[in-house]
Amino acid sequence: MSLFDKFSQLATARAELGAEGTPPVATPIDDIISAAEGVIDGKRVVLAGTNNYLGLTLDPDVVSSARQALEHFGTGTTGSRMANGSYNGHAALEQELASAFGWPSAMVFSTGYQANLASIATLAGKDDFLLLDSDSHASIYDGAKLGNAQTVIFRHNDPENLDRRLSRLGADASRALIVVEGLYSMLGDQPPLAEFVEVKKRHNAWLLLDEAHSFGVFGDRGLGLAEQRGLLGEIDFVVGTFSKSLGGIGGFCTSPHAELELLRLAARPYIFTASPSPAVIASTRTALSKVVAGTDLRARLWDNINRLYRALEEFGYRLGSDKPGPVAAIILPDRESALAHWKGLLASGIYTNLMVPPATPKGLNLLRISLSAAHTPEHIDRIVQAFGQLRKAA
Amino acid sequence: MTTQNDGNDNRRHDHVDQAIQNAVETALPQINGIDFDAALTSDVGLDSVQVMDLVMEIEDELDISVPVEVLAEVQTLNQLGGRIRSMTKDSSR
Repeated sequence: MSLFDKFSQLATARAELGAEGTPPVATPIDDIISAAEGVIDGKRVVLAGTNNYLGLTLDPDVVSSARQALEHFGTGTTGSRMANGSYNGHAALEQELASAFGWPSAMVFSTGYQANLASIATLAGKDDFLLLDSDSHASIYDGAKLGNAQTVIFRHNDPENLDRRLSRLGADASRALIVVEGLYSMLGDQPPLAEFVEVKKRHNAWLLLDEAHSFGVFGDRGLGLAEQRGLLGEIDFVVGTFSKSLGGIGGFCTSPHAELELLRLAARPYIFTASPSPAVIASTRTALSKVVAGTDLRARLWDNINRLYRALEEFGYRLGSDKPGPVAAIILPDRESALAHWKGLLASGIYTNLMVPPATPKGLNLLRISLSAAHTPEHIDRIVQAFGQLRKAA
Repeated sequence: MTTQNDGNDNRRHDHVDQAIQNAVETALPQINGIDFDAALTSDVGLDSVQVMDLVMEIEDELDISVPVEVLAEVQTLNQLGGRIRSMTKDSSR
């Protein structure tokens, strides 16, 4: 008996996926040429699976901010803000995030995963309730595991199903935190946010919206789905990440409730970890200013989104979402065809993501494309042509 | 569909068992017969998403909420049925 025996099924699954050629899991990226192009297996490819929605990772201003902070403050903070000191840049970024939303408080975390872990595990305590959408990201489920609240799952994007579960709680629903996402990364679908807000209000519950994949993409100022739908005033907490549209690493939680500040004293994933490096804080501050002012970036991204969605629909692919968005998930009949698509696209110089059960909802086999403002019309042409070849060969 | 729910406790097939059976048929149509004493993950081979779908179906059948924490404590459908019976008994006191 070995401690590693329990991983044998996972090892087998990985071996089956990556038996020949470039592995589709943890695919080695040899080099980065731009925010939209890289090198895989010695070959120049279009990066269409990196969640780099606004292409800010190599923006000269963003890179310059990071470089200056790196040279001035050094490589790391070497500790927790609570124990080892809080740099001005971290506090300034929190202030800028809160100001963008027009709210009194924001907290910065070292990763987006930790932002959910900390917010969910700490906001919902022992006598409280968590109501999670069944398609929630692992960080949301893990936040529930880390905390002590009673957790109930409702059907994906189903406000009526949530309503029934809140009704069963009766008056206790006022101590229930509902968690939904602004864009679900597996299928690229969006929640019926107005309906969820209505249910939340009917039961006097609380609503946390995870805008990890929707921040920077939706809304006039890129604040996410709640801004786009005119519902910011109805949300209690917005969680986001720095590692997608903002091009860095880290996460945040912001709220119209000033008491969010109290989480600094109680949230273990905030207290017991090193704070983000000064360089990443500096790059995120510059990226944030570009996101908020970035209507041109969003216009480019949405042109790309609309073109690709239209083409995929014309090819007759079944997509995970009927509303176009920065993630285009193609549902394929089985793992073999999903893998064949992934390999076929890579052979045509397009890097995408292969997603298979149990990482996917409803046991679906998916090929996932993430679009970027950094993609040129020619990049989109190449992606469309590659799909055209696959369709012809099928 | 086979249900073996009388092996351990000689209980009669009740509305909880029936609801579980209905839920299995709806949520896992590809599974032809399930042993109520089989471990859902290691024996039946369900993944966590399939277990979650099954539990949501049972919740709708019985109009109850089963906290996720309960799932960590049970391995078989009979154990889940037992927990549901004690939960509904508690709430009806």
